[in-house]
Amino acid sequence: MTSQFFNRMTPYMFMAPAGIIMAIALIYPLGYMMYGSLLDWNPSQSIGEAEFVGLKNYVTLWFDPAFRESLGVTLTFAFFVVVAEMLIGVGLALLLDRNIRGMSVLRTLFILPMMIAPVVVGLMWRYMYHPSIGIFNRFLDKVGLEKVDWLGQNALMSVILADIWQWTPFIFILSLAALQSLPQSAIEASRIDGATPWQQIVYIKLPMMLPILIVTALLRLIDAFKVLEVILVMTEGGPGLSTEILALRISRTATEFRELGVAAAMSNYLLMLLMILTVSMFAFTRWQERRANRLAAAIQEDE
Amino acid sequence: MLNTFTKSTLAATSLLAVTASFAAADGHGGPYAEYAGTTLVVNFPAHPHYDAVMQILPEFTKETGIEVEVDQLPYLKMRERQTLELAQDEGEYDLIGYVVFSKADYVYADQLENLAKYFMNPKLSDPNYDADDLIDGYVYNIGFAGGDRGYLSGKTGSLFGLPYGSETSVLGYRKDIFEKHGLEVPETYEEMLALACKIPELEPGMGGLSSRAASGHHAAHAFLLHLNPLGGAIFDESWNPVMNNAEGVAAAEALKTIVDCGPEGASTFGFGEALGAFLNGDTAMFLDTTIVAGQIDNPSKSKVVGKVGWALHPMGTERASQTGGFGIGIPANAENKDAAFLLMQWLTSKKGDKMVAMAGGNPSRFSTHADAEVNAKFPHMATFGEALKHADPDWRPIIPVWGKVNADLGTTLSKVLTEDLDIQEALDGVAERARGVMEEAGYYTWK
Repeated sequence: MTSQFFNRMTPYMFMAPAGIIMAIALIYPLGYMMYGSLLDWNPSQSIGEAEFVGLKNYVTLWFDPAFRESLGVTLTFAFFVVVAEMLIGVGLALLLDRNIRGMSVLRTLFILPMMIAPVVVGLMWRYMYHPSIGIFNRFLDKVGLEKVDWLGQNALMSVILADIWQWTPFIFILSLAALQSLPQSAIEASRIDGATPWQQIVYIKLPMMLPILIVTALLRLIDAFKVLEVILVMTEGGPGLSTEILALRISRTATEFRELGVAAAMSNYLLMLLMILTVSMFAFTRWQERRANRLAAAIQEDE
Repeated sequence: MLNTFTKSTLAATSLLAVTASFAAADGHGGPYAEYAGTTLVVNFPAHPHYDAVMQILPEFTKETGIEVEVDQLPYLKMRERQTLELAQDEGEYDLIGYVVFSKADYVYADQLENLAKYFMNPKLSDPNYDADDLIDGYVYNIGFAGGDRGYLSGKTGSLFGLPYGSETSVLGYRKDIFEKHGLEVPETYEEMLALACKIPELEPGMGGLSSRAASGHHAAHAFLLHLNPLGGAIFDESWNPVMNNAEGVAAAEALKTIVDCGPEGASTFGFGEALGAFLNGDTAMFLDTTIVAGQIDNPSKSKVVGKVGWALHPMGTERASQTGGFGIGIPANAENKDAAFLLMQWLTSKKGDKMVAMAGGNPSRFSTHADAEVNAKFPHMATFGEALKHADPDWRPIIPVWGKVNADLGTTLSKVLTEDLDIQEALDGVAERARGVMEEAGYYTWK
């Protein structure tokens, strides 16, 4: 009886450390945040002293125009950033997937921006965008073009550009790894069948890379929703609320407005949004896989 | 192993005892003797005034035998740290430097010591302290709570902190540019605004006056600078938002004029950029805090050394300059409160105040501003002392919900400056939202 019991328990015992770590590191903070979002809680109070207000924070936020504007900014930022980075990153990977001399140096250079601390990136771009001493405006001035008010009238675009510069290498490096791990037989077969390089990319390489590209895009998307430091340093969310993405608004709500409950509710909204995006992306991949399998089965049946 | 531990502990203890007795023998008698050998842990902001404080702390240790360990942080980070630290049962800090708007939060949460019992204690309180010499506006703005409107002086109020590293606003102007074009130093707002837009015409490429204007607290701060002198206020006596009345609109218009006639890209300037533009010689005037004087005279940071004159904050319908900056207080959960009080008293004493002023800090006493030695080293000090007489302790409402109202004001004004939002419409929106915030916080309960 005892030995049978132990035998049955063995797998659970092996899983226990991971389970405990999950509970401490993930479930507990998440639960704390969920509970916190139901409170009227300022940072000078302990959580026990805060007043329970139910779903009030969620309702207030839903009707708060500043929160909605911030959500809009976040969605716009994430959309443009991910689309542009995917296009440029994958494009670069396709271009550089060949044996060129000095390739390893080139690759290292390409991924440098990713390695720089976000605060430094923010400062660097802030000074490059500076209206009078910034390199962009000095260059425009020199070639006789009109100066651009980068962080004033065009703040969101400027912030998007900086993010693209920093994070395209991430897509590039993952796409390159995916490209290099593709089975050469399929590519060779297509070449023998007379596929042009363009056809190879569209019909062979990209479809085979797709699962990795989806995960890459998802990772970038999640990250883009949470970017904070670069924008904080570059614009502090301004002018107005034009670059105040949700992560920044959450941070300001907790520290400047001293409303921890509202900040927690906002974080939960962000979490829900990310969950919806993640689940729908995985559902899409699953659907595509099934479709591919069905097609393959149909072809086999035909034969 | 245990033996070694015991030995080293013994050695350390006896070393401490010897140090303490030397300290006592070294003249650390009197009020400090009991505390010699104590180590105080203090939390100060990274700020030019507190950099000067760092230079004078060794003198305090030498005189009293009390060691001071300083944790210096950028002020917003410091505020976050303090918020967490003060909510603990036992805190790490014995003395904190706090930014003025933290007063409301800390006092309301019962986290700062009321200073009455320390000033009542004959063993601790220095009879020559001369509290009357402390600058009134600063004391009521930074140290006082519980009086009129909850945050000002008044019969029901008491003292929770002392001003230390406090600031007021003054007008800095380029003497060379003013002389070159025969311009008069502006006395009133009308003159200042006219000059701000005239200078770019006289000196192409140069802005009139550099001001902070970036979204958030920068824009709100710049607006407040003009609001009180122009006769406006954020709330009336009954806490009704009135920042959208004619005076408020005039203040926002003044800010817009200044930014429009300011240096390139002025609408996104934070404090650093605004000061940077003046230091770089890109503008002819600078209207902001007194704390910048040290940097303006520092050749490694400034291209305008010796070219800057100082004048009082121009007058609108009245004279009212800023009150802000920092104070020091003892956390309710501090371990060494008495010794912390001694440090606090020493730092803000006549002697300490003069020492910190000579090291480049912002003095908190009238006598220091009038001191001949201080004035010989920093000629601007006399003007700053004069400006202090007009420092308005009710410059901004220091209430717990101010952060939220301030942020909304700052982001909305930024839209006025960058997106040409109508001023009246913008301020009406701020007023309406502020009313909601105040309602929720219970300010209309007694109506």
